[in-house]
Amino acid sequence: MFGLSKRCNVVQLASALLMLVAHLATAQEEVENKIQEEDQVEAVQDRQPFRVLSDGMQYPYKETLDVTPLPHNHLLSSFEFEMSSKPFFPGVSSSGYDQYDHYTVFPRAIEPLLRRTFTKQLHLRFTRGYWNSEEWGRLPHDGFKSGGSGVELWAVVEGSSKEDAYNKWKSLANTLSGMFCASINFIGASDTNYPMYSFKPDELRKEGLPLFDSENELFLMHASLANEPICTENLTPLLKLLPSKGKSGISSLLDGHKIFDSVWHNMAIDVTTTCINNPKFENDGECRFEMQANVDMAVHVPSILARNKNPIPKPLDGNELHCDLSKPYDAYQCFPAPAQTEIQFTLSELFGRNISGSNDLSFTHSRICAHISDNWLATIKLDDGLFGTDDNCFELTENRFYDIYMESGSTDVILDKKEAPIYVSRSLTGYGQDHGGLRAVFNNPSDETVRLSYYESLPWFMRIYLSTLEMDITSEEYAQLTLNDIIESQYYVPAIDRKRSTQLEFVLAIPPRSTVALSYQFDKAILHFTEYPPDANHGFEIESLVVTILDPVPYQLRTSTLLLYLSTPDFSMPYNVIIISSTVMGLIFGTLYNLLTKKMVTLEEAEKVLATRTIKYKLLMVKNRILSKLGLLK
Amino acid sequence: MSTFPLRKWAGIAFVAVYLLLGVPLWYKLTTIYRAPLPRDYINSLHNNRFQDVHLTIPVFIKSDTYKFPDIHEATQIQVNHLMNTKEQDIKWSLQILPYNETFIEEARDQGEEYHIVTLMLEDFVGFNAAYDSKNTIVYFNDENVVNNDLPFFVAQTLVEHTFNVEWQYFSESRLMQSGNNNVAINYNPDVHLSINLLNGDGSPIDWEIDETLKIYFTPLREFLSPLVNFTVDTTVTYFNDLNLHNVNNTNTTTWKDISHIIDLSELSSMNHFTENSVVNLAVVFPSNTTTPEGLQFIDSEDNSNWKSFIVPRWGVLILNKYPLAPNTILTRDYLDAIMYKFSNDLFELLGLTSDMKDIFSPVITIDSFKRVRILQNMEKSIETLWSLVKLTEQFEQMTIPEEVLENLKKVLEIRLQVVDILNDPLRGDDNSWNEALRLSNDMVKESETAFFHGEMLKQNFFPQEHKLAVYLPLMGPISIVLLTGIISLFKEPSGTTEKETEKELTKDEEEEKKESIEAASVDAIDGVDEIQSEASS
Repeated sequence: MFGLSKRCNVVQLASALLMLVAHLATAQEEVENKIQEEDQVEAVQDRQPFRVLSDGMQYPYKETLDVTPLPHNHLLSSFEFEMSSKPFFPGVSSSGYDQYDHYTVFPRAIEPLLRRTFTKQLHLRFTRGYWNSEEWGRLPHDGFKSGGSGVELWAVVEGSSKEDAYNKWKSLANTLSGMFCASINFIGASDTNYPMYSFKPDELRKEGLPLFDSENELFLMHASLANEPICTENLTPLLKLLPSKGKSGISSLLDGHKIFDSVWHNMAIDVTTTCINNPKFENDGECRFEMQANVDMAVHVPSILARNKNPIPKPLDGNELHCDLSKPYDAYQCFPAPAQTEIQFTLSELFGRNISGSNDLSFTHSRICAHISDNWLATIKLDDGLFGTDDNCFELTENRFYDIYMESGSTDVILDKKEAPIYVSRSLTGYGQDHGGLRAVFNNPSDETVRLSYYESLPWFMRIYLSTLEMDITSEEYAQLTLNDIIESQYYVPAIDRKRSTQLEFVLAIPPRSTVALSYQFDKAILHFTEYPPDANHGFEIESLVVTILDPVPYQLRTSTLLLYLSTPDFSMPYNVIIISSTVMGLIFGTLYNLLTKKMVTLEEAEKVLATRTIKYKLLMVKNRILSKLGLLK
Repeated sequence: MSTFPLRKWAGIAFVAVYLLLGVPLWYKLTTIYRAPLPRDYINSLHNNRFQDVHLTIPVFIKSDTYKFPDIHEATQIQVNHLMNTKEQDIKWSLQILPYNETFIEEARDQGEEYHIVTLMLEDFVGFNAAYDSKNTIVYFNDENVVNNDLPFFVAQTLVEHTFNVEWQYFSESRLMQSGNNNVAINYNPDVHLSINLLNGDGSPIDWEIDETLKIYFTPLREFLSPLVNFTVDTTVTYFNDLNLHNVNNTNTTTWKDISHIIDLSELSSMNHFTENSVVNLAVVFPSNTTTPEGLQFIDSEDNSNWKSFIVPRWGVLILNKYPLAPNTILTRDYLDAIMYKFSNDLFELLGLTSDMKDIFSPVITIDSFKRVRILQNMEKSIETLWSLVKLTEQFEQMTIPEEVLENLKKVLEIRLQVVDILNDPLRGDDNSWNEALRLSNDMVKESETAFFHGEMLKQNFFPQEHKLAVYLPLMGPISIVLLTGIISLFKEPSGTTEKETEKELTKDEEEEKKESIEAASVDAIDGVDEIQSEASS
């Protein structure tokens, strides 16, 4: 009971609320107990706000760094971060009164996005540079973690129809665009494809990705922004997704200045949904997202070291030159020596930073492994002390600065590099502004037939002629093979102007030790005036060709992007057209108008009139007038 | 035969086609579409905002001990009298009705609840309110009945206490002021609550947040749901102490110093939720490496070692004094206290309390705020429409698409529906207010859709000069030809006779001239006089 007088006490908001909350939350009995308890507890200071877990805390997070020397003094560094979300039941609305979403190590930016857009798998790639397959062998992670030059995005989205899935995909792309500061929002219907053979859609379906609604279907969509510049504004958001925020563990090495100074670099984000699909388990139907983030980079070590030494390039002193001793050399002439084979460096020299501390969030500490041959040495550096291990893997367990020191007397001896199962290149052929050709060359160096899928997406303004598809084969042994022997199956979606791009997919079988070239012709369409980008004379980037090896080993590679020149108008054209056509119309109108309104006279009359208009006549008239005024004219 | 009249008519025909067909056609083809907006109506709504609103709230009066057959009429007179003492900015009144048990019970079965006043005979005089229903209890004694004071007591309790919020807000033009205070976020029926636990270090920590939220926040969420729907997420963030390590760590550090240093960008730039409004709660622990001795400026009397700050239009910041040891779990004991503090601040952040410290009963207050919010929404949407009308009047080149008109009509339609509900004295249950609130939220949404129509501003980026530049090369030459042509045509002397004489004259003159030229050619010899004399003779 609160008040006794007319202007009685008024309940304070706080106490009223507390009572309301208590009342609604628990049974009356409990409330009474609680109030009693609270009275006691508040009096005595034995409340325990914090509890320390003696056996530590573990979150589903893991990070590793693999360092692999490549031929010719190159070095590949592969960072891998793995994390998974808290379990959730699909299709539960987050607006229920008892529904709370909790995030720990899994980025809060990603999970709601995937749930909102019904995305089951998300793959995002930021890649730039050239991976020299012939020298360096296979791509890291067998190419499944790298993209074509630029930005590449593909996702498996659940939707009731293609249109519905596309809208969700668009929303996903727009959000990712904002998140990663990339132009992913420019992906539209005319850039989006639905791959048939590539990106393992069959396997996706077999994996049994869960549907939030059983009437929906899964759609795999792919798009890429060819040759989109990748820079530090794309790396920073990626680091922000990690629980360590790039401030501890191996992620503290990642610095935009060094990463984007490399020969080839690649950032990848892959999120997949895994669900428990077994009615025997209590948590049947429970799902979680698993995310992998990778950063790979290949650097040329001597150049990085040289740049550290001389940030501004300038000619070396004579005594610092390495001359080829097998050739004549003196103070004035020096043939440069073949690349040096002795090298020593620390990771901090390559990355510009030390590793600060470890990952404490899980029991698996940050781990660094060097994949080196016997004539290499890799040690971990701790307070000026160097320590080595048998397997060349180092676990970072303490919260202090670490560094990795590596040296080798013969850098040309590296662990057996894995040869790429196939080499593919693609180029534009032809000349002129109205048509051209595309030629893709497949070189199979192995002794086995390689089966692969070929995925190509071309903009609508390249109007291809599939009838011109031709095949050349270098090996005489296979000279009798025809196109149909090589192409096992094909999938072709023709372009619709401004609405859909061309999608061309083949499953090819490339015979052993042979080189096969596929080529076809296309016409270049003329764009609308407003469709040209601001730097129209730069040309149009054509996205990479994606080749996925199906047999004998799973492998994926992408060719370089192409630069297509289209006829580009002079952009002052519309105004010129307006001016010229207006002038012509003005002339015609003037003539017509004069014809209809001017007086018609015979030639003689005209001559008479003309005669009166001569200056001489006018002067005479003036003279006459003067004379007549003076009375001299009779 | 002279062609002059024909030529003249041809000229006139050209000008006529130019003026009567060309100019209107050009105008028609180059003008932009401007849908006719009901400007006058909107202006009048804006000038006299609640002209057609007379909010009526039914209140049932019930007496358990004595039967007062005319108490509702007597109270009605007192209530009306009392309400007339204060100038009403928005017209509102209470409709006092006798208690009808079957009606109330039926309504209650359907989840509808009305305001009820229960009269209870006690030894003392006073009033009370239940905190879980819309029931006001007035205590009276026999003396009051004898003196006939009871209707006045009831009236005073109702107006000054039960409907205190209305009593304050609906008078003295206070309606929108409260909505515009500096702390509250913009009202939105869907609000996202983002709860962050920030640790300055990378050592793992955890919190019993789910249990705490389910016990403390779920009831509040449910309770506020007629007004605001929440979606909630929580996250643990490492290596972020909101830049607190840069704060000058002394006892004298004030909130002002902190507010200059604190960096909320990382928490504010989150855009993963779909709601437009967001309230944040950040529980921050400083870093063990940068501030091992703790933040000196946090000194709480009750040894709780944390301090709470409201960041206007953002949320609540809980700063802890000491860093956390690795592997620490924040227990419910700790989080309960924080949630309790936050729940209080939340009301302010939602604009539900402002400067009114005394709240009668949570249920009744929420009910009142629903009505306040309905009227604020109405005002807001009319204000938006008025701005739209003003904007389109100022920018003549702005297109007004048909959809804008559609949205606008819808807003006005919904407004009438809301007014109907508000004015109806029989509709005073929860469902009616909820429906009115929902409609008024739609109204705001529709009016904003109209205002922010993408097409409207586009035309402003295509200035008049461009239009001129495109059409002048054609219009210029044609107009000049026409103009000079018609002028010379009209200057040309008309009529055949004049023409003929003119021709004759010119013939004579011609001969004369020829002669004179001949004469001039022989002018070298002194024959001037001779000729002249000849001429004169």
